[in-house]
Formats: sequence, C-alpha cells, structure tokens
Amino acid sequence: MSQHGDLDHQPGGGFSTPVGSRRTFFQWVTVAAAAVVGVGLAIPLLSALISPAFTRRRHAWVDVGAADKLPAGQPTQLDHVTTIRDGWLEAKSHKAVWAVKQPQGDVKVFSPICTHLGCGYRWDDTEKKFLCPCHGSSYDMNGQVLGGPAPRPLDTLPSKVEGGRLLVMYKDFKSGLSHSVEL
Amino acid sequence: MSSRLYEWLDSRLNLKPVQRTLLDEPIPGGASWIYVFGSATLFLFVLQAATGMFLALYYAPTPDHAYDSVRFIETEITLGWFVRGLHHWGASAMVVAIGLHMLQTFLYGAYKSPREVMWMVGVVLFLIVMTFAFTGYLLPWDQTAYWATQIGINMVGTVPLIGDFISRVLRGGEMLGALTLSRFFAIHVLFLPAILIGGIALHLFVLRRVGPAGPWTDDRASLGSETFAPRQVYMDAVVIAGVFLVVATLAFSIPLPLTDKANPSDTSFVPVPEWYFLFYYELLKYVHGPLEPLATWVLPLCVILIMLFWPFIDRNPVRNPIRRPVVLGSGLLFLLVVFGLLGISIKNLYAVPRTDPAVARGKAVYAQFGCVGCHRIHGEGGAVAPDLSLIGETRPDRAWHLKHFRDPQSVSPGSFMPKFPLTDQQLNDLTSYVLTLKRTNEKQG
Repeated sequence: MSQHGDLDHQPGGGFSTPVGSRRTFFQWVTVAAAAVVGVGLAIPLLSALISPAFTRRRHAWVDVGAADKLPAGQPTQLDHVTTIRDGWLEAKSHKAVWAVKQPQGDVKVFSPICTHLGCGYRWDDTEKKFLCPCHGSSYDMNGQVLGGPAPRPLDTLPSKVEGGRLLVMYKDFKSGLSHSVEL
Repeated sequence: MSSRLYEWLDSRLNLKPVQRTLLDEPIPGGASWIYVFGSATLFLFVLQAATGMFLALYYAPTPDHAYDSVRFIETEITLGWFVRGLHHWGASAMVVAIGLHMLQTFLYGAYKSPREVMWMVGVVLFLIVMTFAFTGYLLPWDQTAYWATQIGINMVGTVPLIGDFISRVLRGGEMLGALTLSRFFAIHVLFLPAILIGGIALHLFVLRRVGPAGPWTDDRASLGSETFAPRQVYMDAVVIAGVFLVVATLAFSIPLPLTDKANPSDTSFVPVPEWYFLFYYELLKYVHGPLEPLATWVLPLCVILIMLFWPFIDRNPVRNPIRRPVVLGSGLLFLLVVFGLLGISIKNLYAVPRTDPAVARGKAVYAQFGCVGCHRIHGEGGAVAPDLSLIGETRPDRAWHLKHFRDPQSVSPGSFMPKFPLTDQQLNDLTSYVLTLKRTNEKQG
C-alpha cells in the first residue's frame, strides 16, 4: 500500500505533494480520464436526446377498397382506418381520401384537405367540381384550382393497385403554400 | 488554472480560497489507490442521475404505457438501449463500489472516533441506494418487475402491527397497480435523489470537518501528508474512467431484454431479483413456517441496526486490523454467509441446465413440435393446456413424463393432448427439459 513510505515522492520538504513535471503528468492524466468519461457519456446521451428530431414519420400502404369497383370519371370518397404512431402510442384513426378513376383505368387519389387553410372539401355532383365550404375554393376533377383562395392544386397521395385492391399512402401537407410540402 | 478567464473570474469572485479548500486538503500518509472507492461511488451516482434524466425524456409511469415506453427507448431511440444499459449496469456498479468503500472503511477502522457520524450517514446513504434499486426495478413494468415488487412489498407486510399499513402505503392501496407505479416513479426520480444529495453533502461535510482517516498506524506524528491534488485526484480520475469503461462495455455487450408485459393474472411467473438481493432471496428459501418473519424482517432489521450503530458496538480505539481479530473475524463471517448464499443462488439459477446437453435438445424438441401453442411457460405460450412453468417441481417423476409423452391418455385420462411421433432420444430429451422447469430455473424456461 503506497501510503506507507511512498517511494514516488521527492525526499524532504515535509509535504510530499508532487511538483514540476510529475505534477503536470498527474494533471494531464486527470484531464484525459475526464475527457474519456465526458465524451463517452455525451455521445449516447445527446444521441438519445436529439434522435426523435431526425425520425421521419413512417407511412405505410393502406388498403382503401377494391379498385375495379370505382366508377370511372366519378370522384369517390373512400374511408379507411389507419394506424397513427405517436412515440410509443399507437392509435387507430379514420381517414378519408378522394379517389378518381381516370379514363385509362389508373386511379388518382387526393388528400381530403383543402390546400388553402386545411378544411375538408366535398364533391358537388351537379356542378362537377370539388367545393370547399370554408372559403369557397373549388377544384376540377383533376385537382386543378377553378376558383377561390386555394394557392395550389389538390395534393395527390401515392397510390397503387395490387391484386385488385387500391393501396394509398396517407400523408399530411402544409396548407397555404403555393407548392406541396409534406408534413 | 492560470488561464486568463480564471484570473478574470478570480479577481471578481475570489476563487483561490475555494480552490485551496477543494484541492489542497491534506491526506495523512499521502494519496493511495485504496482511497478511490468513495469517489467512484460519487461518480456512479452522477452517472445514474445523468442517464436517468435522459431515460425520463421517454419514460411514461403508467401501467398503460410504461412497458411500451421502455421498449420504445430500447428499439426506436438512437443509443437508447445503451443509455438504459448504462443505467442498469451503473446501478450494479454502484452497489459494488459502495461494498468496497464500506469494506475499506471497515478494514482500516476508519469508522472509529471521531468519524462515527460519517459512518452512520454512510449507512443511511447505502440504505437509500438500496431503496433506489427497489423502486427502479418496478419501472419497466414487465413480469419480472411486477412480481419481484409484489414479493418485496408482501415481505414488508409480514412485519407485525405496522406491516399491513406500510405495505398499503407502498402500494398506494390494496393492489399493486397504477398508483404503485406512479409513486415508485416519483420516489425514484424526485424524492430519493433529493434525500441522497442532502446525505452526500452531509457525508462530505463531516469528512471535511474531521479529515480523512489515513493509514491505521498508531504513530500519527511520523506520517507525512500530501494534498488531495494532484495525485489523489489523478488516482480517482483513473479509477473513475476505468469504472465507466467497464460499465459501458457491459451495457454495450449484454442486452437487457424485457420479459413480457406485467400481467397481474398470470400467477405462474416466478421472478428473480437483482443479483445484489439474491443472497437474501436464497436465505428465504431455507426459512419457512413460524420462523419466516425472522428472515423477512427481524434479521434484516437487526443487520441494519448493527451496521448503523457499529462504531458504538466496536469501541476498541485500535485501528490496525491485525490487532482486531474478533471484529475482523465477525466481518469475514458475515461476508462468507452473504457470498455463500449468493454463490448457492447463482449456482441454482444457472449451473445445472448448462451441464446437461439433453436439456437444450429437449427445449428444441419443445419448440419443434409446437408445444408452446397450448402450453405456457412463464407467461409464454397458449393457455388451453396446463401451465408447465413449475412442472419439474409439481411432477418430478421422470417415468410418468416418459409414459405421458408416449401416450398422454394412458396416465392422464381424458387429456386432449395428441400422441406426438417422438423418437426415444427425443422422449428422453423432452423429459429432461420439462424436469428443469422449477422455481429456481426460470431463466431457462
């Protein structure tokens, strides 16, 4: 045990506190040890802190109905249940999308939210246009703006047909911008 | 320390006396590697506090979400599993560091006059750390957490007169549930840290008033002394970095899987406590019937009181361990009992199944034939057939199992278990496996 007659010490001087280059060595090792612990802790802790900031919302394909049952040239509102993940919470949410079957057979799917301020719009079958009840924006069957304050066409959602079923990837978009920005 | 910023601050805040107080404390007999355990313990407390704060970013203390939020930390958060590992292994390391710190103090007789108060505050700090361990164990809200806490609180309930009341207060009512989890969380992250920080401050305050004990020699006058900085600081720092690297390596290499989510209705689950409570868990197996309260509370209370008042029980002023044979002998005996029980417990938990390869093969047969579809072992599997978690205990008869696996109806009339086409080897292996399913072997289940 080193405290009994320590040989590391310079003889004499009563207090055996090291001086000069030995003192510098001890200080240097202390700083190095502190750096190992500091960096070793900072990396995992800061990663854990900022990690959710870099996590994009994951979107999954959701089955919204049979593709061949859609009437061509007639917008149809399709309801479906989607799973929303909020941290460790998983909630089921009802969502609607507007699907328009094109003459060639492929399907165009619109987000059900008006691009102006985020209201839900509806299809007016007599006027043959999408109408937003809030501020009167209107769109044609292809989502192009016909009138009102809407700054951009309706947002289209990724969609595909697999085994006769229409699959949609539901997304939200920022309202009020002249171009489409995903949330 | 000669930087211009320091000079600037010092000229305003007068820092030099503070620096002298902190760093130039004389250590009788000089710095030593044997004095590092207190600093290591303090570091581990800081580590627990830091990792705990970051875990609290995501943890939700309700039965609905606790388990999912811990799983979220494990799987979704970058290095979240590592932070949780640091917190887990940091707790174990803290128990080890405190053990070594107390052992050094005991061996050096450093608890003796004038340092009785420091020892007593230290024992209280140790008990607070154990309470940290107990309250933290429940938080993941998995089966192990739930049932281990259930048992811990029931043990408190065996104390006469006040036991029932205390266990109700601990649980926040009749049942272990939402109120238990929220109060364990609050105690773990708010109450205990506040108390512990106060206790640490007091412990260090007393240290600075009486000074470090130094070596055990009687010839105090001949001892030189050395300031705390730089050599003791260097030794403490090196050991702290070493401790951190060990904890980080354990956290990195050993995953901490959650067991199933806590299920209050699944009474077949048999939890294992943390290793530092294992000796006690083992002790409880040997004490039954009217003697049980002796082990559940009389003995622990006695040990705590003896520890707390130890400086007044051992009043011999001599510090040299060679001249304190009775005290050293009784300390050694205590350690032998604790580590003996710990050893037996670990052996029971892990050793037996490892030595018999038939058990592993039997387990594979169990998986291969889909037994898990109907039978349940420690919460895993179907519930239409008998739970096999403790089958090795409730039916230890090998011949019965062999006959049963060949033709279930022959020994269990009316059973709807099908006859599986097992070879003789598979029969034997499967039987060996199910016979290991006992109270002490649940880790293998």
